[in-house]
Amino acid sequence: MSTTKQPTRPRRIDDALSQLVDSLTPTLPLASVNYDNYSDEEEAIAAAESHRHDAQLDRAWRIIDTYPAAGSADPGSPAGLGGRRGSLAAMESVNNAPDLIKRKLRRENSSPDKAVRFSNLYSRLLTQPVLSQKWGILYLLYKLSEKDGVGAEGGERSRSPSMDDGNLQNMLGREGSRPRRGTHSRAFESEDEGPAVSSSASQKIPLSKPERPNSFVERESADYSARPSNREVDERAGAASPTMTPSSPQAHSKESVERGLLRDLPFNLQGLSSSNLQFQSASVLKLPQNLPSPIISLLHSLAEPCLLYKGLSEFCEGTNEGLIHQSLRAAISKEIHSYLGLVATLEAEIRQALAAIGDGTQSLGVRKSGVTLKRCMIWTRDATMALRLMSLIVEESRDKKGGQLISLIHGFSTSHGDPFVGAFAEKLLAHVTRPFYDMLQLWIYDGELSDPYKEFFVDEPEFRPSTDSRGIATSVWEHKYKLVDRLIPSIVTREFAEKVFLIGKSLNFIRTGCEDSAWVEAYSKEAFKELKYGDTDTLESSIDKAYKTTMARLIHLMDDKFKLFDHLRALKKYLLLGQGDFIALLMESLSSNLDRPANSQYRHTLTAQLEHAIRASNAQYDSADVLRRLDARMLELSHGEIGWDCFTLEYKIDAPVDVVITPWGSRQYLKVFNFLWRVKRVEFALGSTWRRCMTGARGVLGNVEDTLGADWKRARCVIAEMIHFVCQLQYYILFEVIESSWDQLQTEMSKTDCTLGDLIDAHNKYLNSITHKGLLGSTSTSRYGSSTSASAKQPEESFLTQLHQILKIMLAYKDAVDGLYSFSVAEFTRRQELIAKIETRTAQGHWGVTESDVRPRRANSRGGTSIASTPDIRPASAGVDGIDTPYSLDGPEMNDDQMLPTLRSRLRDLSAEFKSRLNILLGDLAYQPDVDMRFLGVVMNFNDVYEPVRRRKPASSSRDKEKEKERERAKRKAATAAASANTGSGTESSAPKEARRE
Amino acid sequence: MPNPNPEDKRQAAREVIDILHEISILLNTNLDRTELSLCVSLIENGVNPDALATVIKDLRKENGPTRIPSQAAAE
Repeated sequence: MSTTKQPTRPRRIDDALSQLVDSLTPTLPLASVNYDNYSDEEEAIAAAESHRHDAQLDRAWRIIDTYPAAGSADPGSPAGLGGRRGSLAAMESVNNAPDLIKRKLRRENSSPDKAVRFSNLYSRLLTQPVLSQKWGILYLLYKLSEKDGVGAEGGERSRSPSMDDGNLQNMLGREGSRPRRGTHSRAFESEDEGPAVSSSASQKIPLSKPERPNSFVERESADYSARPSNREVDERAGAASPTMTPSSPQAHSKESVERGLLRDLPFNLQGLSSSNLQFQSASVLKLPQNLPSPIISLLHSLAEPCLLYKGLSEFCEGTNEGLIHQSLRAAISKEIHSYLGLVATLEAEIRQALAAIGDGTQSLGVRKSGVTLKRCMIWTRDATMALRLMSLIVEESRDKKGGQLISLIHGFSTSHGDPFVGAFAEKLLAHVTRPFYDMLQLWIYDGELSDPYKEFFVDEPEFRPSTDSRGIATSVWEHKYKLVDRLIPSIVTREFAEKVFLIGKSLNFIRTGCEDSAWVEAYSKEAFKELKYGDTDTLESSIDKAYKTTMARLIHLMDDKFKLFDHLRALKKYLLLGQGDFIALLMESLSSNLDRPANSQYRHTLTAQLEHAIRASNAQYDSADVLRRLDARMLELSHGEIGWDCFTLEYKIDAPVDVVITPWGSRQYLKVFNFLWRVKRVEFALGSTWRRCMTGARGVLGNVEDTLGADWKRARCVIAEMIHFVCQLQYYILFEVIESSWDQLQTEMSKTDCTLGDLIDAHNKYLNSITHKGLLGSTSTSRYGSSTSASAKQPEESFLTQLHQILKIMLAYKDAVDGLYSFSVAEFTRRQELIAKIETRTAQGHWGVTESDVRPRRANSRGGTSIASTPDIRPASAGVDGIDTPYSLDGPEMNDDQMLPTLRSRLRDLSAEFKSRLNILLGDLAYQPDVDMRFLGVVMNFNDVYEPVRRRKPASSSRDKEKEKERERAKRKAATAAASANTGSGTESSAPKEARRE
Repeated sequence: MPNPNPEDKRQAAREVIDILHEISILLNTNLDRTELSLCVSLIENGVNPDALATVIKDLRKENGPTRIPSQAAAE
C-alpha cells in the first residue's frame, strides 16, 4: 500500500517524516534482533532497523492520510492535499491552539509565570515571518504535551490547589495579550494576505468569547472585516459563536437598540428620562420591555447609579436644618460633581464610538475603544459604589444631627470592611466635620458657643431651673452649659469632650464671670490654631495646651483677683470658730444681750458688738475686704425663742466666688456655725457657773457648808462631767473634723493641675465631711419630732437631736445650779441676819432667839428678793405638769425647808437624765462606721465611767420619741421653774425668763 | 514568504525553532530540536498537525517500552 501511494506523496514530507521516525525510533537492542537470517551482526541490525523503519513510516503515513490536511486554506501547500477537508471542529481546535496552550498552562501551574512566558514567546513567534503554519505547530505541541501533562498534572495540581483562573484571565486577557495580539494580527494582515486572515479571524473568536459575549458591535465589525477576504472565515466565525448565528437577522436591530441605549445613557446617568428609559418617580426607572434579557440585566445595573444620582441630587437641593447637614450636602454635591465629570467623559467616549460606527468605516480606533453597555457598566461601577454609600449615609442621617451624623460617617470609615468604603467615608468626613471643627475652634479659643442648630456637644439650655434637686441655686459655672452625651461624635473620646467642655466653660466663665475678656482675647489670638479632621496629634496637643492655660488662668484669677482662698480661710476662722479670741469676746459681749427674747434683738446692737469683738481681737488684722463681708444678724425663727437660738454670723460671698462657695455651701456653713455656737454657748454658760462656784466656795458657800456642802459637791461633779463632755465635743469638731478636712482641702487646692471643677468638688467634699462628721448630717434639724419619718432618719440627724437634748439638759442643769447658788446665798444672808440679830440682842442684853425672830426674817427675805414678782402664773403651770416641781411650792406659804429638797431632786433628776442620754449617745457612737466618730465616743468615755446603751430597734423608736418629747417638755418646765424659783438671787439668767413671761 | 537572502532566512528559521523549542519545553513535549524542526517542516508542508501528533504519540508508544531499557543499555 505504501508503495502505491508513495509517488503521490510530496517528497519533502516523506523525507522529513522518515527522519522523524528515525529520530524517534531508538536503536534496536541487540537482544531483540533476530540473528538467524543475517551473517553479520551489523547487517542484521541494519536490516531489522530498516524493516522496522519502513513499517513505522508506513503506519505514520496511514495515520496522516486519515486526517485532513491542516493548511487547506494555505495557498502555499500542494494542491493535492487541499482537496481533503476535515471537520470544521478540528480546524477550530487547530486554530485555537494558542488559547488552548495558554489555558492548559494556567490550569496546570499555580503561578501565571509560565503562561506569561508563553504569551511572550508567542508574540515573538508572531513577529517571525518564516512560518505560515504557526497554529499548526503550536497545536502539535499542545497535543504532544497533553500526554505528558497527565503525569505532570497531578504533581502540579497538588502544588497549587488554590489557583485563581479568573484573575489570570483578567491579567492576561485584558492587559497582556489582547492588544498585542491585535496589533500583531493587523501587522500580519498588511504583510501577508493569505494566512493573516485566517489567523486574525481565528484569534478574534476565542478572544471575544470569554471576554464579552455581548459585545455585538465589536464582533460584528470584526466579522465584517473578515468577510470580504474569505468565505470560510465567515463560516468559522458563525460556528464559533452559536449565539450569534441563529439571531443574525436580529443582530442589526439589537445593535441599533444598544446604540440607542448608549446614546441615551449619559442623560439617564444624570437622572433624566430618555425615550427608552423613563423615570416614573424618584425611585422608579422604567425599562423597555422588548429587549433580550442580557441587555435588561445590564440596564438593571446601569439603572442603579441613575436612580441614586437622582435621589442624591434631590438631597443636595434640599434645605435641611443644621450646619453639619449642610456640610454633608456640600460634600456630597462635590462627589456628585466628580460623578458628573465621569458621565461627561463617558458621553464623549460614546459619541466618538457611535460616530465611528455611524460612518461605517471600520477604523481601528472603534474596535480598540469599543464602547458597549457592559463597558459603561464597568466604568460606572466605582461611581455606583460611591453613590450607593452616599445614599446610604443620606438615608441614615435623616433623623440624626450634629455629632451623631459625624459618628455615623466615622463608623463607616473605621469599621467597614471594604477599604473603598472606608476611604470614601474618610474623604467625606474631612468635609463634613468642618463646621464641627469650626465650632470647636471657637469654643476652645474664645469660649463662645456658636451653634445655631444645637449640633455641638455643648449645649446652652434656654430654660435654667432656678434650683436643682439639692436646693442649690444655679450658678454660671454649673448650669450655663451642659455636655450632651449623645452628640459627642465618635471621632473624639469622652474624656476629650469633657476637656473641651471644661476649656470652653472656663473661658466663658473668665469672660463673663470674672470680667477678664481682655485676657481671653489675647489668649485666643495667641493660641489660635486651625483645627481640622485627621490631624489628631495637633488637635490633642492644642487641646491639652489650651486646657492647661485656661485652667491655670482661672485658678490664678480666683486666687489673685477674687481671693477665693482668703475667703475660704475667713469662713473657717469666723464661721467655724477658728478665731478663738474673737469668738470668745463676741460671746462675752453678746451674752447678756442674747439672753433676751429674739424679738427684742436689734441689728444695730448686734453689729456694734460684732465690731467691738473685731476691734478688740486679732481679727482686726484681717483684711478689710474680709471683715466687710462679716455680718451678724438674727435668723427668722419662730416666735418665742431667745436670742441665743437666733443669732448668727454671716459671711457674704459675691459673684465669681459663689461658684465655689455656692449658696448651698453658705447654708452648710451657717448650719455648722449654729451648732458650734450652741456648743460654745453651753460651754460659756457652764464656765461662768463653774467660776461662780469656785469664787463662791471661798466666801458665801463656805459658810453654808454644813447644810449644802454635799449638794454643792454633787453639783460640781456633774458640772465637771458636763464640761468634759462639751470640751470633748468641741475638740472633736474643731480639730478632728474641721482641721483635718481643711488640711485635705488645702492639699487638693494646692495641686498644680487643679481646675475650677476640682476646686468646687474639693470644697463640696470639705463641707460634706464637716457636716457629716460633725454629727450634723445634711438634713435640717427642724425635722425633729416628725414621728412618721423616725425610722428613715439618718443616724447623724438623730445624733444632732440627741446632742441638742443633751445641751438643753446642760443649760437646765446650769439654771438649777444657779438656783442652788441663790438658795445658798439666801441661806447665807439669813444666817448673817440671824447672827446680826443675836449680836444686837446680846448688845441689848437679851439672850437667845425666840420664835418671833424667825417670822420677820422670812418676811424680810421674801421682800428682799424678786421672787414675789411673779407669784400667780406658776401654780397654774405646775398643776398641769403634776410633777413635783418647785412651782407648786412657790406660794406664799413656801419655806426654805421645802425649797431645798425640790432643788435637790431637780438637780438629781437632771444629772440622771444627762447620764442616761449620754449613755445612749455613746452607745450609738460606738456603732458608727466612721472611725473618727467612734473615737469621739472613746474619748468621752475614756475611763468607762458611762455604760453605753445600745439603742432600741427603729420599730419602737417612734414610741420612744414620744416619750422623749414628753420628758423633754416636762424637763423644760422644770428648768424654767427651777430658774424662776431661784430668781431671788438675782442672777443674770433669770432676767430674760421674766421678760418672756411678760 | 519570499526572502532573497538565504542566510537571513536560515537565521530566521533558527530563531523560530528556538522559540518553538522553548514553548515545547514549557509544554513538556519531550521533543528535541531536530525532531521539532522536522515537525515544523512537516507541518509547513501541509501535514495535519493532529495527524502528526498522533503519529508521534504512536511511535513513542511503540518504542516507549523498549526505549528506556535501550538507553540503559547504551549507558
